[in-house]
Amino acid sequence: MRRRAGESILIGEDIEIQIIHIGESRIKIGITAPRSVPVSMKEVKLVGQENLAAAQLRSVTVLRNLLDRLIESPAGGEK
Amino acid sequence: MATTQTPPQRCDTRYFGPVEYNEESVMVFPDGIPAFEQERRFLALRQPINEPLVFLQSLTNPNLCFATLPALSACPGYRLNMTPEDLRALGLEGGQPAIGRDVLCLIILSLEENAPPTANLLAPIVVNLHTLNGRQAIQTDSPYSHREVLPLRGAACL
Repeated sequence: MRRRAGESILIGEDIEIQIIHIGESRIKIGITAPRSVPVSMKEVKLVGQENLAAAQLRSVTVLRNLLDRLIESPAGGEK
Repeated sequence: MATTQTPPQRCDTRYFGPVEYNEESVMVFPDGIPAFEQERRFLALRQPINEPLVFLQSLTNPNLCFATLPALSACPGYRLNMTPEDLRALGLEGGQPAIGRDVLCLIILSLEENAPPTANLLAPIVVNLHTLNGRQAIQTDSPYSHREVLPLRGAACL
């Protein structure tokens, strides 16, 4: 599907995505959707998944030891 | 931080048993953070033995605690590029805030088995130091990833 600025895409009965402006490296879009449909950047989901993973950390000691090792071996230094 | 103090309160923590804290040091996240939208109140815990780590402990869920690094420890030269929405939500006017002076900026670390720790440089925890309001700022147009491997690629930190 190809669209120009000002044109729209419909998804189902009540979701509309309009191409508002096309810039050099980004586009501005308008989304009309029912309140029950969450609209967010994909990054929000990625960050949520990353937060869930981060919350599983079991041992502070293990993490600290890893970090200590990283700090002790400066970039380019010996392992 | 504040000089007028309420009596210390106690909370349980995921890693350190019960700790005492003052209400004045509570950081409030009005929207929570992604995947934890209901968690609004956090403490930043530091311990000499675990320097430079900072632990972001939930006050409503003792079992929820994030291990973080101050942004500039995780990545010297780290630059914030917060969206206008995030800046407005934190009451930060006049451009990007200065890390350490205007805001506390923490990078959440993640550790999976048999892999080096990773750092979410894309979405730092940013806390307005004047109001102690915070949010996780998901940056657009960012050179950073949500899963930068530590030690960080030199280029990402210039």
